[in-house]
Order: sequence, then structure tokens, then C-alpha cells
Amino acid sequence: MKRLKYIPLILLISFTVSSCSDFLNKLPENTIPSSAINYTQLSNMYAPVSGVYRIAESANPGLVHWMDYGIRGVRGDDLDKGSSASDQSQLTDIKLFHYNYASIQSFWGTNNCWNDYYGMIIDANSALAELDKFAANIPSTDATNLKLNLQYKAELRFLRSFAHLMLARVFGNIPILTDNSTIRTIGKSPVADVRAFINSEMDFCIANLEDARPNQSIHVGAVTKYSALMLKAKICADLAGSDNTSTYWDQVISATDQIINSGKFSLYPDYYQLFKKPGKMCNESLFELQFTDFGTSSGDIVEPDAFWAFQGPRGDQHGSPISGWGFMTPSQTIVDYLNSRNDSVRLKTTVLFTDTKTKGTNKYAVTPSNDTIWANSDGVKYFNGKAYLPSSQMTAGRTDYGENNNIRILRYADALLLNAEAKVRKGQSGDTPFNLVRNRAKLASITGATLQNVLDERRAEFACEWWGDRFNDLIRTGQAATTLSGFVVGTSEYIPIPQTQIDLNTNLGK
Amino acid sequence: MRKKSILLLLVALMSAGSLFAQNIQVQGVIVDKKTGEALIGSTVVQKGAATNGTTTNSNGEFSITVPQNSVLVVSYVGYVSQEIKANSNSPLKIQLEEENQALDEVVVVGYGTSKVKDLTAPISVVKTEDLQRRTTGSAMGSLQGSVAGVQVVTNGSPGSSPTVHIRGVGSLNNENPLYVVDGMFFDNIDFLNTNDIAEMTILKDASAAAIYGVRAANGVVLITTKKGKLNSKTQITYDGYVGFQTPVNMLKMASGSEYAAMEIAKGTTSDLAHVTLSSQKFGGSGTNPTTNTNWYNELLNQSALTHSHSIGISGGSEKATYNVALSYLYQDGIMKAQNNYSRFNLLAQTDFQAYDWLKIGYKILVSNSTLFSPNKTAFANAYYASPLYPVFDATNTNATPTDYASSTSIGFSNGAFANPVAAAQYYYDKTNGVQISPTVFAEIKLWKDKLLFKTQYSQKYTVNQDLNYTPAYYVDAFQLSPNQLNSLTSYQEKYQNYIVDNTLTYKDGIGNHHWSAMIGQSTRNESWRQLKATATNLNFNGAGFQEEYLYVSNGHPVASQVLENGTDYHGLSFFGRATYDFASKYLLTATFRADGSSKYQQKWGYFPSVGAGWVLSEEGFMKDQHLFDYLKARLSWGMLGNDAVPANNGFSFIKTGDPASGIFGSTSSSAGAYVPGYTNVNLFSYLKWEVVNEWDGGFDFSLLKQRLNGSIDYYNRQTNNLVFMAPQPMGNPDMLGNYGKVTNQGLELTLNWSDKIGEIGYTIGGNISTLKNKVDNLGGLAYKMTGISEFPTIMQVGQPVNSFYGYQVAGVYQTQAEINADPIAVANGLVPGDFKYKDQNGDKVLDSKDRVILGNYLPTVTYGFNVGLNYKKLELNVMFQGQGGNKILNMNRARRLWYSDMNGDAQMITHLWTGAGSTNEYPSALGTTKGWNNMASSFFVEDGSYMRIQNIQLAYSFKLAKTANAPFMRIFVTADRPLIFTKYSGFTPEIGGATTDLSNTGYDNNVYPTSATYSIGCRISY
Repeated sequence: MKRLKYIPLILLISFTVSSCSDFLNKLPENTIPSSAINYTQLSNMYAPVSGVYRIAESANPGLVHWMDYGIRGVRGDDLDKGSSASDQSQLTDIKLFHYNYASIQSFWGTNNCWNDYYGMIIDANSALAELDKFAANIPSTDATNLKLNLQYKAELRFLRSFAHLMLARVFGNIPILTDNSTIRTIGKSPVADVRAFINSEMDFCIANLEDARPNQSIHVGAVTKYSALMLKAKICADLAGSDNTSTYWDQVISATDQIINSGKFSLYPDYYQLFKKPGKMCNESLFELQFTDFGTSSGDIVEPDAFWAFQGPRGDQHGSPISGWGFMTPSQTIVDYLNSRNDSVRLKTTVLFTDTKTKGTNKYAVTPSNDTIWANSDGVKYFNGKAYLPSSQMTAGRTDYGENNNIRILRYADALLLNAEAKVRKGQSGDTPFNLVRNRAKLASITGATLQNVLDERRAEFACEWWGDRFNDLIRTGQAATTLSGFVVGTSEYIPIPQTQIDLNTNLGK
Repeated sequence: MRKKSILLLLVALMSAGSLFAQNIQVQGVIVDKKTGEALIGSTVVQKGAATNGTTTNSNGEFSITVPQNSVLVVSYVGYVSQEIKANSNSPLKIQLEEENQALDEVVVVGYGTSKVKDLTAPISVVKTEDLQRRTTGSAMGSLQGSVAGVQVVTNGSPGSSPTVHIRGVGSLNNENPLYVVDGMFFDNIDFLNTNDIAEMTILKDASAAAIYGVRAANGVVLITTKKGKLNSKTQITYDGYVGFQTPVNMLKMASGSEYAAMEIAKGTTSDLAHVTLSSQKFGGSGTNPTTNTNWYNELLNQSALTHSHSIGISGGSEKATYNVALSYLYQDGIMKAQNNYSRFNLLAQTDFQAYDWLKIGYKILVSNSTLFSPNKTAFANAYYASPLYPVFDATNTNATPTDYASSTSIGFSNGAFANPVAAAQYYYDKTNGVQISPTVFAEIKLWKDKLLFKTQYSQKYTVNQDLNYTPAYYVDAFQLSPNQLNSLTSYQEKYQNYIVDNTLTYKDGIGNHHWSAMIGQSTRNESWRQLKATATNLNFNGAGFQEEYLYVSNGHPVASQVLENGTDYHGLSFFGRATYDFASKYLLTATFRADGSSKYQQKWGYFPSVGAGWVLSEEGFMKDQHLFDYLKARLSWGMLGNDAVPANNGFSFIKTGDPASGIFGSTSSSAGAYVPGYTNVNLFSYLKWEVVNEWDGGFDFSLLKQRLNGSIDYYNRQTNNLVFMAPQPMGNPDMLGNYGKVTNQGLELTLNWSDKIGEIGYTIGGNISTLKNKVDNLGGLAYKMTGISEFPTIMQVGQPVNSFYGYQVAGVYQTQAEINADPIAVANGLVPGDFKYKDQNGDKVLDSKDRVILGNYLPTVTYGFNVGLNYKKLELNVMFQGQGGNKILNMNRARRLWYSDMNGDAQMITHLWTGAGSTNEYPSALGTTKGWNNMASSFFVEDGSYMRIQNIQLAYSFKLAKTANAPFMRIFVTADRPLIFTKYSGFTPEIGGATTDLSNTGYDNNVYPTSATYSIGCRISY
């Protein structure tokens, strides 16, 4: 009887000893290790690429954070900070080029901008490494997949280059990040090297991307060879600056000619609708970030964070969905400028008015799409019309301003105007591409367009768009100092690297 | 079968014995040996016949009829029990001796017990009575200020968990100690009813805690729940109280006119409009609006009910013990919304001596809780919201279903300024939790009383169900339910943990040599799984809202909101302990634990410890002195580990599914779709075991005829391979890493004096502990930035962890002349009324090099003290608690960086700079909106010291009747946390910790205010 008591003891000891070796080898739950991915399954090869597009469509990291647009855009003369005077007042300091302020050194927004774009670059680099692993599993005889592998890499390298371009426009000398293991130690490269890097990346992209209009791609809206040609043209124009003798202008002509001569692109006929639902992913689009509410009244939605709300009309909008925080508003300068040109199509597209009519003590305005915009108590008179999606175009049941619209980045109009500019600078006629853009905006043709004609057209055509083109054009053409009050050549071009980043990587301070 | 017959025979003999033996009546009086005072309510029980017992009357007298020569067991709480043979009718005078500073008390240590006098480590034992005096919902909350070296930070939100630090911060990745309840591991003990706790032992240093190895880096709290006692009569106990809570130290916000004055002084169109629009719409004229909404008053109740009831029945026979207890706790929140916590607990325990060599037993603890959480955002909204608009506005015709007023009506266009009352009301969050934790054990005597084998299986099974419902509502364009539809998020989560422990204990001795040895093995599994689903547009078909209708399938499910997650960790440990003592004079303890964890890449960690004690008062040379009655010196060393890190560190992994997939084909005519994608997260850290190395030296003493008792300890604990979450450059997510070495050191002193003056007994006790925290190295780096990026903290070698970092405010520029004379002011475009920061390096440029350490969130001193008085049946206790040396970053004020139009505390808003000489402390009204004045600086870092009256209790104890067996009753009135003394400008200096990323500790993010509780209660035992 008493011996019974030794039985459980012996059982337990033997159980313990026998079970212990495997017990600790346990995979974490709900986490697929990268090492478990089957890279021979080539049908999955686009997955890492699609993942980076999704990052690009996001805010943090990603391309669409409202603050990043604020920093980039506010320095042009087409946009004011908007909102109430004290709200995000560092943007006003940036607009006035007070970069030396200690409050700009430690501004959360510039750090946010840095993190958003480099965060996306890090993800692109990781995805490129994934494609290398797929490549290692493609038989040398499988030409189709080898080609696709290169095409997908080119898509990622395009996205990575675009993020570098945005960073360089804000910060100037920045690290060129192609190897994630260097993030704690990497130093800065001069802005010219960053541009040269993007230029050579585009050569790779042009050679390997799909020869199609983005909306014809298998992945509708993916970047193609023509997106890369466009970005190359833009970066070459930056490299050339206002030096008409620069050979980069030849590259601009060559790149834009290829886009034009492909015959694949056309301007969307209705400039007003171009920025609204009918213009989504049209034949003018060279690069566009896509979003959707899946056409359903509720449930899933993919939105660009607060990108649209940031720009929506401020104040009490009496229950209308056409409502937001009221930042990044068209300046009086651009309104006056468009008026002075009698550029009525672009004016009604670019600007939402607020106070053209009066009802009782309230002022308001009605948009061409029949939405009412009520005046606000902050004295903000205009809101960005290019960010406006009429309520009549919203999916029934949805109420967020701008949702289901895409964000336009690169347009065929840019190719035409850069083509015209480069040709004029080279002493050729740019009239054909130049007048295509004018005529679409219902403006009469000009014969023998001058450089200033072309630059004026750029100013009107791209007014209040989101990628900092106006400020970049003023710097590129050497007109910033005469156009922007407070601009000092050599110091006002770029914002200092955020202190937070220098704290994390002291090499950035060198 | 044979056993059974023997048992029957025994029973028969015993009953026969009681039938035939001659009964005698024994009378007597029970007194305190030292004072001679009668001990009222002492128990006298016939040994072996638990049902035959009595208690002493108010004169300490008893009378009992027992068989001749039987043994009486005489006991009284806090006194050493005695056994007396009943063989005479002459009155007995029984002198009970008070337990000698509880030195003979047996305390629970890891996987075993020890006599207090044999301990070589600093171990604190908390008595149940001390816990019961407080009316907090959680047992750890009751501990605040009671134990040296244990810092408890409570939170006023019903059902919330207090933050507990034992000896500073050992690990930055998880600061909570390990709780071991009857052998089962828990992260907190919020589920426990205080009345169910029999004993709480706190293992503060590494030598004591090392037996728990990898989980013990932050100290260990051992809890034993109540059990019945062998040979005791059935005891029924009721404990209860009912009271109300009221917010204390209410923050005074700027009033309507004070806020208006600031807005007008800013001088901008928008700010002025807030004032004039308020006049136009809600009364007043021009720049004198009459609206003055005190949002906190609108949001908070002045009193909230709380009550608690427990009833328990326990007892035991010769072979079995049992305890069954039921309890109910209800705590209303002070927010005017559905906000309360209720908990129903059940505890059942039985032990049975099956054979003389086998004891078996089980315990089941069931906790059933319901929590209605408040919308914490509403609380923050109340800080930001302008007092210039009312709660309701009948003219806000777009508002539905209730006509709440909108901040847009006075010109705001940001959700941060949303109507706080609407935010609180349009919110429904109910969490139902059921936790079942059974424990079953068997104890086998293998060789007399010397060799004991124990095996125990413990389980914890928790199911939480959370329903988070938002009704369809609209207040304005910035405060509305998405798409103006209702929505429901339903979470189901399950925790399933088990531990199997096997220990073999050997105890023996020859003469003055005593030794013991224990070896053990433990297998552990902890798993968690959660499923979350969301639906919008729930259609009740006009049936109105009912909790029972809250099912995701009643609405339109949102595909991307179906999320599932889980963890599953395995652990395997081998451990042992050996003790040796010579005549209880020289003591030696050594322990060792080997821990294997499936979480780390490095699978095994080893944790040794040793401790030595020397009872000096037993030595010959101490015999002649009369100061010390008892004196023991201790010295110990040990190592501890921490595996509270997420398991997905150490390798690269992918994020996949819809959230990682791009949208393609979203055109004018087509909605677009996901193309399957993934993101590879290939920056990761390889984590090593975080190891704590601790030395402790101390004395336990008792002097002046045992009237003064206490202990003093010095400790030095160094954490190596410190794991914490650190920000990474270039937008890479924060990452865990082994970043360095941190030391915590300090002194802990506990003193208790108790004496009598005439009939008045009194006790004065206190504890104080100091903490010095220092970063020793950071793996070669000079510093590492942590915390919130705009108001950062810094890890710097030689400084405390996560110290606040920024500019030192030197004052406010008063005149233009002062501006013109200062190149820094000129370079930054400043005007009078802006802050002047100290140019630390004197280079006439204000930049990052001028930032300095501004303080740290860790208190350097924590203390508690209490005074107790008793006179006859009356008792009065007052307890104080406080801390000093810590700083708080007032995030409420700092939010002005993002929300420049927000309201603020009256202290600041009414003292803004208005002209030369007005103030040197606050910026001008316009200045409050500028980036310059909202940079991380000493302005936002405030002193977090406080002292609080933690508890006042007046109690009266008496018997309900004169008979010896009459029920015993104690009634009491209690004030919990009635008063706080602090200079801090927020609601409360008790701001707790961040739950995940501890580098965010010390920021006051508008926590739920602590409230005072006034209650009346009673305890009846029979």
C-alpha cells in the first residue's frame, strides 16, 4: 500500500525528462518568419511590391501625411498655411524661411516628414531584398519571370526614388538609403548626388518597366516606363537649373519626347473634373496613389489618412461633408494671378470660394458642383479646389471629405510643359506641347511661346498641387529670391535636418 | 478496505470514549502574559473535537465542558497558542504570550515556507488586517505606503490596475512584479478579493526572488489565499462596507471670462471670433460672452457609490479543512456616463489528509467581473474644450439624436475641441471577464516528516468579452460616428495558462545543526488568443438599443477589421534551495534556478543566489546588554531574469493580408481592389537575457522591551543587458534591444513603536525608502533619446533612466530693449512675453547643445507612516503616504504645441504675461501659441512630490451578546485618500505608467482622477 506513493513520483520524473527537449522549441504565434517564405512560388513575386504601394498610400510611413504636404507646399507662393493663425504656426515660420529658429529645429512636423519618407524607403529596400530571393529561384531559362523580376524591382526603385526626391526637396543634402543596415550611421550626400542617383535609377527603371500607360498595366495604376521617363525629365530639369546650355535639357527633351511620341497619353479634356472622380486614373495619369471605398456605403475603406480633411473647408459647414481643417489654402497671390490671366477654368478648379453670396448675416458660396461652402470666422477666404470631391460624386452613405478619390502625382501635362520648356531653352519651338496644355484649359494658343510664357503656364497649371513643384520651380529657375519675400539664396532652399534625427544618428550633424 | 474498517473502528471508539469518559467543567480566564489584561474573544477548543469550543467573554473568562484528560487548545490572534490538559475543576489562569515580533511566524517563501527568524533575505509580510482597512477595489491598491521599497501608484478609474514598483525599476520592458497566487503566476491580482487573502509575502531582493528566476526581475509578491484550519470550529465571517467616492484636488480650469481674456489678448481674427461668436450665439455682448461651461463639472459626479460584501465559512476537522467564500464588489466611476465595475468572486478550498502519508487538496478561485469603461478621450476633450460654448444647443439642428452644442459654432474646426459630454455619452464599452483558477495538489511524506514530495497543477483560464458600441450620431463635421452610422466592435479573448510544479523537500538536523534541501521542477505554458470583429450599420429595425442585440452579424461586417492575434510561450525550469543553520544563530541559504524559455533565442538562463544571517543577540557577548532584545545581521546576493519581452524579436517576419496590400484599379469606373501584398520587417534585434544582479545587506532588530521593532536594508541592484524600446532613426519602428546597464540602489528603513499609556494603547510606525537610479552604460553610446519625440526623455550615462530633457527657462523677456540686447531673441524673432531660455554653453546661439536634463519620473524618496490609538473597544488609525524627488511632464499644458486654441488650467491662463513686470513665469497669450514657447523645456516639467492622508479609520469592536459564543462585531467608518498635499498643477501627481512602452512613463496624459472614498462598514464573525 505505502509503496504506491513512489509511483506518481517516478511517473512525473520520467515524464518531465522525456518531454523537455521539444517543449522549448516553439514558433511564435501569428508571425510568419521571413525565412519560411517559399521563394520558388513565383506567382507570389508581386506581393512585396504591392506591399510597398500600400505603404506609399499611407501616412506614417508613406507619401500622404498631411503635415509633410504642409511643409513641402507652404513655401510656394500659391499656398498659404490657412486654418487659424496660431494653429501649426511653425508652418508660418517655415513659409517665412525662419529655418534658424530653435522651434523649427525641434519641430515635430519636420521629423514626421523625415520618418514618413525614410520609413517608406526602408520598406522598399526590404522588398527589393525579397525580390532578390525570388530571383535566386528563377531558372535561367525562364526569361518571362526573370524579366518580371526586373520589372518589379524597377517599380520599387521608382517608388524609392520618388521618396528621395520629396526628402531632397525639403532637406537638401540627405542620405541616399539603399542599405537598411546603415540607418544608424549613414551620412548625408550633397543634393546634386541625390539627383544624380535618382537620374541613374530612372535609367534602370526605363529599361525594365512595363511599356504601357499606367492604367493599362496588369496591376492597373502601377508605375510604368513612362512614369520613370517623367521623373527622369523632372530630375534632369532640376540638375540643369537655369543653365540653358546644360546637356541635361537634352535629356529632358529626349525623355518627354518618348512619352509624347508613344501616343499613349492624352490630356483629360475637362480640367475641372480631372481632379475629381471622372479623372481618376485617366489617360493623363503617369503616377497616382489609389484609394477606394469599394463602392459600398459602409464597411472597408482605404483612405489617405487625414490628407483631404486637412485641406477641407473650415468652420461650421452646417452638416455638409465638404468640411475639414482648412489648411493649405490658395493664396491671394495665386487667385489674383489666375484672375489676371482670365484663367477661369483653372480658377474654378483650383479655388473654392466662401463668401460670394449672403444669406442673412451669413456669407457663403456655391461650387460649380452645387455644394455650399459657408464662410468661417478665421477669415480664410479660399480653400483648395483641387482637393475637392463634390458630395454628388461621393458613394452614397459615405461622409468623409474626399474619400474614394485618388491623389494625383505625375501628369502628362507636366511632360508637355517640360518638353516645351526644354525646347525653348534650346532655341527650338515649344508651341505644340505648350498650346495643348493651354487649349485644354480653354485658353487661346500662343505662337512663339517664350520661356516665361512656359513658366507662367506651369505656375497656373500646377497651382496648389501637393508635391512642392511651385517652390521647386522657383528655385530651379532662379526666381525664388525675386518672387518670395524673405527668401535668401543659399539658406532658404532647405530646412535643417530635424534635431531628433541628429540625436539618433550623429553623423547627420556632420 | 482494511483502512476503512480501521477508520470506522476509530470513530466508534472515539464516540464511545466521549460517552464513557467522565466529563468535567473547566473554567478559567485568559490574560496577556505581559500586561495581565484579559483577552476578550480568545478561543478555547477541545483538541480533536472541533465542534466543542467556546470564546472568552468581556472579562476574558470562559467555561467549557470536556472529557477529563482531554486537551484544550487556547488561541488568540497575534498570540502563541497553548495546549492545556483538562484534569481539574479548579479555575485556570492561562497566560498567553504575544508572538515575539512574529519571529516564530512561518512565512511562505518560494516553493516552501520558512520561519521569520531563519530568513536571510529582506522579506516583507503584509497582514490581512492592514489590507482590509482600505476601501480600494484592488488588493495592491491597499498596499500603498505600507511597505518599504514598494511603490504603488493607483488610478481612480474603476477596475483599473495600480502600477507597482519594487525597489525602483529593474526592467524597462515590464515593471510589474510577478504575482504568485497559491503557486500560479499572474501579471496582476486585480481579480482577487482582499478578504480572500490570508497572507502576502513580498520578496524584495534577488536572493529571495531568485527561486522564481526569469520572471522575478521586478520582485515577487507571494499570495496565499485563506484556508480552513485543522481542528477548528466552523467560523462564519461577514465583511462589508458601503461608501461614496468624490473627486479630490479637482483641477481648476480657466473660466469663460478668463479664457475669453486670453483669446482676445492673442489678437488674431480666429481667436477673437471664438469670443464674439459665443456672445452672438449663446449670450453676452461683444467681447463679453456670458457662457461659462465648466466641462469637468459637466463630466464628473460629485459622488459615486461603492460597496463591497464578503461572506465566508471556514473550519476544519482532524483531517480536513475547508473554506468557502463569496464576495461582491461594486464601484461606480465618477464620470457621468456608463462607467462602473462590479466583481463577483467565489473561493472554495478543501484539503484532506487521505492517509497519514498523503495529503490532497484543491482550491478554486472564480472571478466574474463586468467593467463599463469610460471614454478617456472625453476626459482629454474636457481639458481642451473652450468654456465659451454650452453643453446643449437647440439651434444645432444637424445634431442627432441629442442636440449637443458644437465647437464649430464658435469657430473651431478640429475634433480635439469636440464636445466632451457628447464624447462621454456616445460611448458604450462593456467588458465581461471570467477567470477560473483551480489548483490541485498532492503531498506525499516519503520518509517520516523529513522527506516530502509535493506535486501541484495550477491553471488559469480567463475569458474576456468586450463590446464596444458607438451609436449613430452627429454633433458636427468633426464629431460624428463614421459615416453617421452606428458601429460595434466585439472582442473575444482567452488566456490559458498552466503550471505543473514538483518539489522534493528534505529537512533534518542533529543537535544544533539543522539543514534542509529542496529540489524542484516546473513546466509552464502561457497562451493568449484574441479575435476582434467590427460591423457598422447595425440594424435594430426600430427596436431601439438593447445590449442583447449587440452582435456583429446584425450589421455590415468590415472585412479589414476582422483581426486575430495570439501568443503561446513555453517555459521549463529546474530549481533548488539549501539551508543550514547552527542553533538558529548562524544562517545560510542558497538557491539556484535554471530557466528555459521559448521566447529567447538564447534558450537557457541560470540564476543563483546566496544569503547569510547572523543572530547577534544570541551571542554570549550580547547577553549583558539590555538595549536589544533581538538583533540579526543579513547579507545576500542573487541574480534574476526577465522574459517579459514579445517573442517576435530575433528574426525577420512579414506583415501580410489586406492591411499590407496595395489598391490597384481604382478608376473613374471601377472601385479597385487589393492586390495581395506583404511587407517584410527585416530590422530586428537579437535579445539576450536581461539579468539583474543584486546585493542586499541589513539588520532586523527589536529593542526597548520589544516596543521598538524594525529593519534596515541597503540594496544595490544592477540590471545588465537592459532591454527597452528605443526610437530608431529614419522612421523605423521603435525597437527592443539590450542597450546597457542600469543600477538602482537605496536604503529601506521600517520602524514600529508600540506601547501603552494607561488604558490607551498606541502605535507609531513608518517606512521610508530611497532610490537612486543611474545608467551605467549604454553599450558605448553617450546617450539615447527616448520618450515622446517633441518632449523627449534621454538615457545618459551617469543619469537616471529616461530623464526629461530640454531647455531651461530662465524667465520671460519683459521689454523690447531686452530683446534687442539678446542675439538669441533677435535670431528667433522673439517679442516681449516670450520665454527666455538659458544659453547653457554661452555661445549666444540657442540650439540643441543648450538642452539639459530637467528631472526624472522616479521618486528618490517614498514613505508611509501611521499612527494608531486604541482605548478599550475603540480604535483609531491614521495613515500617511507620499513621495518626493520625482518630476512630471505636464502633457496637458504641452498639448498647446498641437492645439493652440485650447483652454488651460486657471493658474496658467490667469497669470499670462501681459506687459513688462507682469510675470516671469508664463508667456503672453499670443506666446502660448508659438512653437518657441512650446519646445521641450523646464516649463512643462513640474515637481511631482506629494503627501497624502491615505486612510483614516475609526473602529469599534464588541460582542453582540454577553454569552461566550456570541458573534463578534466590528463597525468602522473610513476615509480613504481624503486629502493630498502637492504643488503639481494637474489633477493628480499619481500618473501611473504607460502599459507598453515604459519610456513614456512620467508624462501626465490626463489620467482619470483619484477620488476620496468615505465609507461605513462592519465585520461580523461567528
